[in-house]
Amino acid sequence: MPNITLTIAKQTYKSTFGNKATLVLTILLGLSLGLATYVGWQNFKTQNNQRLYYKNMVRAQWLAKPDKHPHRMAHYGYLAFREKHELSFFDFGIESFAGVSIFLEAHKQNTVNFSEAGFSNGMLRFGEISIAMVLQLLVPLLIFFLGYNSISAERESGTLKILLCQNVSWKKLLWGKTLGIIGVVLTIFIPLILLTILLWASLSNWQISLDATLRLVILILSYSIYFFIVSALTILVSAFQRSSKTALITLLSCWIFFVILMPRIIQAIGTKIHPTPSKIEFADAISSDIQKQGDSHDPNDPHFAAIKDSLLQKYQVDDVKKLPFNYGGYIMAEGERITSGIYSDHQRQLNNTFDKQNSFTVFAGLFNPYLSLKQISMALTASDFKTYVDFQNQAEAYRYGLAQKMNKLQIDKISNHAPGEHEKPLSISKSNWAEQPDFNYKFDHLSHVLTHELLSLVALFVWFIAILFFLQYSSKWLKTI
Amino acid sequence: MKKSTSILEFKLFFRNRSAWIGILVLLLTGVAGLYFGKTFIANQQSVIEKAAVLQKKNTLENIRHFNKDIGLIFFHNKFSTANLPDRWAAFANGQRDVNPYLISVTMLGIEGQLYDTDITNPVSMLLGNMDLSFVYLFLFPLVIIAFTYNLISEQQESGIWSLLKSQTNALTKVIWRKFLIRIAAVFAVAFLLLTAAVIYLHLPVDSTLAAVTGLIILYLAFWFAVSIFIVSLGRSSSYNASALVAIWVAICIVIPASLNLFLTKKYGVPEALQNVINQREGYHEKWDMPKEVTMKPFFEHYPQLKKYPFPADKTFSWFWYYGMQQMGDDQAIKSRLAVARKLASRQHFTNIAALFFPTIQTQLAVNELAGSDLSAHLEFQQKVRDNHEKIRLHFYPSIFQEKDIASTDIKNVGLKKFIPTKIHNWSRLLPLLTWTLIMGTFAVRNLKCSALMRNTDTR
Repeated sequence: MPNITLTIAKQTYKSTFGNKATLVLTILLGLSLGLATYVGWQNFKTQNNQRLYYKNMVRAQWLAKPDKHPHRMAHYGYLAFREKHELSFFDFGIESFAGVSIFLEAHKQNTVNFSEAGFSNGMLRFGEISIAMVLQLLVPLLIFFLGYNSISAERESGTLKILLCQNVSWKKLLWGKTLGIIGVVLTIFIPLILLTILLWASLSNWQISLDATLRLVILILSYSIYFFIVSALTILVSAFQRSSKTALITLLSCWIFFVILMPRIIQAIGTKIHPTPSKIEFADAISSDIQKQGDSHDPNDPHFAAIKDSLLQKYQVDDVKKLPFNYGGYIMAEGERITSGIYSDHQRQLNNTFDKQNSFTVFAGLFNPYLSLKQISMALTASDFKTYVDFQNQAEAYRYGLAQKMNKLQIDKISNHAPGEHEKPLSISKSNWAEQPDFNYKFDHLSHVLTHELLSLVALFVWFIAILFFLQYSSKWLKTI
Repeated sequence: MKKSTSILEFKLFFRNRSAWIGILVLLLTGVAGLYFGKTFIANQQSVIEKAAVLQKKNTLENIRHFNKDIGLIFFHNKFSTANLPDRWAAFANGQRDVNPYLISVTMLGIEGQLYDTDITNPVSMLLGNMDLSFVYLFLFPLVIIAFTYNLISEQQESGIWSLLKSQTNALTKVIWRKFLIRIAAVFAVAFLLLTAAVIYLHLPVDSTLAAVTGLIILYLAFWFAVSIFIVSLGRSSSYNASALVAIWVAICIVIPASLNLFLTKKYGVPEALQNVINQREGYHEKWDMPKEVTMKPFFEHYPQLKKYPFPADKTFSWFWYYGMQQMGDDQAIKSRLAVARKLASRQHFTNIAALFFPTIQTQLAVNELAGSDLSAHLEFQQKVRDNHEKIRLHFYPSIFQEKDIASTDIKNVGLKKFIPTKIHNWSRLLPLLTWTLIMGTFAVRNLKCSALMRNTDTR
């Protein structure tokens, strides 16, 4: 019996490619996909190479610094660059809206600066052509154009009645048509996947990791499911609507609503309900917390006065200058510990607020397969918000490590007797600088990514099941005429 | 007789459910756009007000903490400049979500501070702002398409066409009447929303309003012309709908996005990263060099500061420190100008692209009028640089002479406010007008003399 389904599928496939207009449309889309792939790949290479170039330069400059006081090095600091995941050529995600470089220095947490959006004069706001964008936005549109009349046209021409009388059940018809349309989509999608795999392998210098392989596999699966959902929806709409025209209009209206309108409005609502503080308010809240706990820059601070007293007592001396280690370094280490702890708390709260804002969009994925796929795609290609936050956290951890390493060098190697106003400043050997490792961003494990994207994955799966159910059982509600 | 047919057509249009849906969608999203656009800008305004208070508070705190050391006070004390939103910014948020509207900098190197971003959610920026300009730019064309795609084809498909043709010899007039009613309905909604915007956003009735109105009229007219042109080809409703949506996707998404990709590739800005490195090295390397390496170029830059005695024998002095900071900025000038040149080429490229694509043109024009585009931000950055320079020159003498902080007027330096220059680039209307006229002429000619009007049997 599945033979009939297959026959219908084959027939649909053939007649689709027999139609000149759809052929042209399909070829155009295929070409734009090819272009998107090429440009995405090129973009990845240039941008990542630029970042690597500057990363190496920063490292070389750090190592080349002469003998000096470690605290000078703590202020010289480090520049960290956000690397791209090799799969990010597939989906640009938030890449263009997220900063690229961050200056890491003692006492101070800086922002990640120089996003592409900051250099844009508004063109960026129309969207970006990436493989993911074409697959998420344009392929569904192609599917609608291909399939909107697949059943309604049969109805309009009267062949539907004949088909249903000839041992073809509704179920087989729906499945057959759906498979036919998917066949067309796969004709574009499969070569694209092969090309993607090839480029991805070349970007990773032919040393592919298991993690990235699995990411790609799940990515391909998710997109396949998405195409299946869209194709089946198209066929179902075509079956339920009276005429081809209303079927097409329904599908196009859905596309506009789900792809253009809903994402913006949902995110705007999320941002409205969970507002984030401005930078000055954020900084003010941090500094008032620091004053409560202890401000090492304030000479009259009670917390640091207490530390001083206890140190004097412990070492049985009457002046901090008589302590057997560098007192200034000790105080700075304590100050750094307090301020960065407070900062991290606030940053975590802020990220929670961002998560709450974004959760509206994530949750909307339950009602909008486009949104759930978008989340999954961005997460798997490490071009999502979580990866960005992760980068910030790793950069902050590195900053803290660097500052404390320099404080430790000061405590251990710098004399506790400050030189006079006209004397040479104290310094330590430049050989110490190499002890501070380079900053290397580590991408999160796939398992964490999947756990974080669970809701989106579930949403896509629920859509998949619901569509399967409709294909199987919707014949009860379908009318032949 | 003629009047009554018009009324009948009018009634016919409004009896259509899809007409009401289209109008309702525009009104609802328009109201949402007004609300979210206004909230977004109102939030920035309230932050700017808070900033003025916070700056005072922080200055007093810094004075209290570092009372004895004037150099240290200025090391910590931040001076803020705010980019005040134009009222129109609520209409078109533009790039105001991406670029910081409040920049606070200390007297240290400006290039190391100027590019710090605000606290932003990249996901929100990716999905875009929900303001009224979005409704005009993206949704109105869709509703225009929905109202017109089946205007002729529907008559043909329902068989009314031949009937119409046999009864009247002014077929074009009948069709035009139908179009005019739809044009009237869409423009009525457009003007209603614009009036609502003027009231709700307190927009002044001035030349900006005239410019925006002109843009909207031309932009919507362009889409009507495109729609009528496609419809006049006499194809089926499905063909028209597919073609029009495809055109919309091409003009509103695919082409601008492709152009942007090209732009990003051709005018990449690695100089920005180079600039950070130059500034950082330019300053930090001076710690390990003889003091004259800093002070010679410093005094060349500011000969008027030579009169203050430089304590060359001291290991550390604030004089030297601020000189070193200045060197960071001075050594970053080349890369900074390189960035500016890149951005100017980007703007040039976009302006040329906009000549051919009305959507790009309209968006650029509206953001420009609202002072929420990149050039307004660049102007703001320049203003911050100027303010920074003024503050440096004003307080350098006191710092270099290690005067008492009480002798300075640091407490009186309040928040500086910046208002972007109003730009009325009327020439932006011209390409829009041209395209509308071209498309319109084609459409009218097609309607008048196409086979469609002569042959009943096009299907």
